[in-house]
Amino acid sequence: MRRRELAWALFAGATVAPAQTTTAADELTARREQVKANGAALAKFEIPMATEPAFAFKAY
Amino acid sequence: MPSKHISSPEVFWLSIGELHAKLVAKEFSCQELTKAWLERLEKLGPKYNALAALLRKPSISKAKDIDKELKRDRVRGPLQGIPYGAKDLVSFAKFPTAWGAKPYAGQVFDEHARVVKKLDAAGSICVGKLAMVELAGGGGYRYAAASVNGPGLNPWDTGRWAGGSSSGPGSAVAAGLVPFALGSETWGSIVTPAAFCGVTGLRPTYGLVSRAGAMALSWTLDKIGPMCRSAVDCGIVLAAIAGGDSDDPGSAGKSFYYAPEYVRPNKEITIGYAPRDLELIADREVAKVFADTYAAFREMGFTMKEVALPEMPYSAAASTIIGCEASSIFEDLIASGKVEQLADQNQILGLKASFDYSARDYLKAMRVRRLVQEMFGKLFDGVDVLLAPSRINVASPVAQDMDADAGIVNRGVTLPTRGLRDLSAAGNLAGLPGLSMPCGFAGGLPLGMSVVSRPFQENLILGMGQRYQERTDWHKRRPKVD
Repeated sequence: MRRRELAWALFAGATVAPAQTTTAADELTARREQVKANGAALAKFEIPMATEPAFAFKAY
Repeated sequence: MPSKHISSPEVFWLSIGELHAKLVAKEFSCQELTKAWLERLEKLGPKYNALAALLRKPSISKAKDIDKELKRDRVRGPLQGIPYGAKDLVSFAKFPTAWGAKPYAGQVFDEHARVVKKLDAAGSICVGKLAMVELAGGGGYRYAAASVNGPGLNPWDTGRWAGGSSSGPGSAVAAGLVPFALGSETWGSIVTPAAFCGVTGLRPTYGLVSRAGAMALSWTLDKIGPMCRSAVDCGIVLAAIAGGDSDDPGSAGKSFYYAPEYVRPNKEITIGYAPRDLELIADREVAKVFADTYAAFREMGFTMKEVALPEMPYSAAASTIIGCEASSIFEDLIASGKVEQLADQNQILGLKASFDYSARDYLKAMRVRRLVQEMFGKLFDGVDVLLAPSRINVASPVAQDMDADAGIVNRGVTLPTRGLRDLSAAGNLAGLPGLSMPCGFAGGLPLGMSVVSRPFQENLILGMGQRYQERTDWHKRRPKVD
C-alpha cells in the first residue's frame, strides 16, 4: 500500500468507523463475506484429484 | 371432554400401541378419539404457535371409515385410527401448505405428500398441519420469530424457543396435542426441537423416506422423520413411512422393517463418544446431565470408546451445499424480490447472498462430503454407534439472537481433538440416521442425547433407544399444559 493510500485508509477509518450503524446493506455484505469464507475454508482443504463429488447421475 | 368415553386427559399421553389397543377394545371410537385430539390441538396449538392449519373435516371423515373397519374387527396395524400432525412442509391435498413462509401463504396442492399417503394407508389420521420456521430456515435465521406462524414456543417454558425448523411438531408432541408428528431435517431440524421440547426424534438415513410432495430445501440433504414420545413409537411410524419411491430421485429404494428385538446384546455393542467435549459446556448442570447419560449407557453394559472426528470443514461444506441448492430451489423467490416478505432479515440476506456461491464452491463441498462418508466408514469399523449431545444447551429465550452463543461455551478451554462437536454437520453430510432422546433437565428445561449409526441401521439405534427408555423416565416427563 502506498503512503497516500494508507493515509486515506486511516482517514476513512477514523471518520467513518465511530458513526457506524448496522444497515441492511452492511448485513448483506457480511453474509456475502460468510459465503466467501465458506469458499475459502473449502478451498484450503486439499483433496485428491480422484475424489469425485458425492452425488451420482443416474442414466435411465 | 368431547366424549363420555374419553373421560381422562391421560389419553393424550398414551403411546401409539396403548391408543390402538383401546380403539381395538372399543373403549372409545376413532371418531371420539379424533374429535378429542382436534379439540385439544385447536385449543392449545395457538398457545405455542404450533398450529398452521386444522384438518377437521378430512380427519373426521377418515375416522368414520376407521370406525367401520374396527366394527368389522378388521385390525390393520398399530397406526390404525391414530391421529398425527404433519410439519407444514409436507403437502395435504386441497389444504394450505405455506412452508411457514408468507410468500407461500394460501398455497394449495392437489395431492398428498407420499408420507401422508403412506400414513393414510396405515390408517393414521392427519389432524393438523404444524408450524415451522419459514422455508425450513434455509437462509440462516437469527430469531425464533422466523415463521409466518410466529415464534415456536416451548411447552416447558413459553418464554423459550421450541427449536427449529420443526418447531410445531416438537411443541405439539411435547404438549400432548398429537400422539406423534412428522418433522424434517436438512441440518438439525428434527434433532434440535426434539432436544429442546423433550421428545424423541428420529432423523432417518438419507433416502429411506420419500420426500415426494414435500418442500425441497436441499435435494441432497433433506430427510423426513418421526417425532414421538418414545423410540418405540418412532420405530412404528418409520416402518409405515419408509420405502423406495420412484417419485423421489434421492430415494435409496430400501424398505424398513421395525425389529428392535434382533439388536445384539448391549455388551456386544461399542459406543463411540467424546467425554472431553463436555469441558466446553459453560453450564455445569447441563454438562452433568450429559455425563450422567454417558454413565447410564456404560452401566447398561455397552462398551464405551473415546473417538474424535478428524479435522475437516464440515460446517463450511454443509452451509455451502444448502446455500447452493436453496439458491437454485428458491431462485424465483429471490430474483422476484418476494424474498423480502420473509419474517427474518437474516433469512432474506442469507438467501440473497447464496447467489454468490460458485460452481467450484459447490463441487468442492460435494467432494469434501465424499471424504466425510469415507471417514465415517473407517470410524464405524471401530464402533457401532456414536453418542453425543443433541444440543449442548437448553432451549434459548425466544427473543435471543441465535448468532450469539450467550455464554454457552467455555471460551477459555481448548481441547486436543475435535471430539464429536461437529457430529450434526458431519452426520447430515453423510446422510447418517440419528435418534435424539430426552436425557435429563437443566433449569427445568429438557436436554437430548443423540445416537448416530451407519446408514440404514435404524433398528440398532431404535433398539438402543428403547433399552435406554426402559431404564429411564425422561421421555415420560410432561410439561404443565392445561
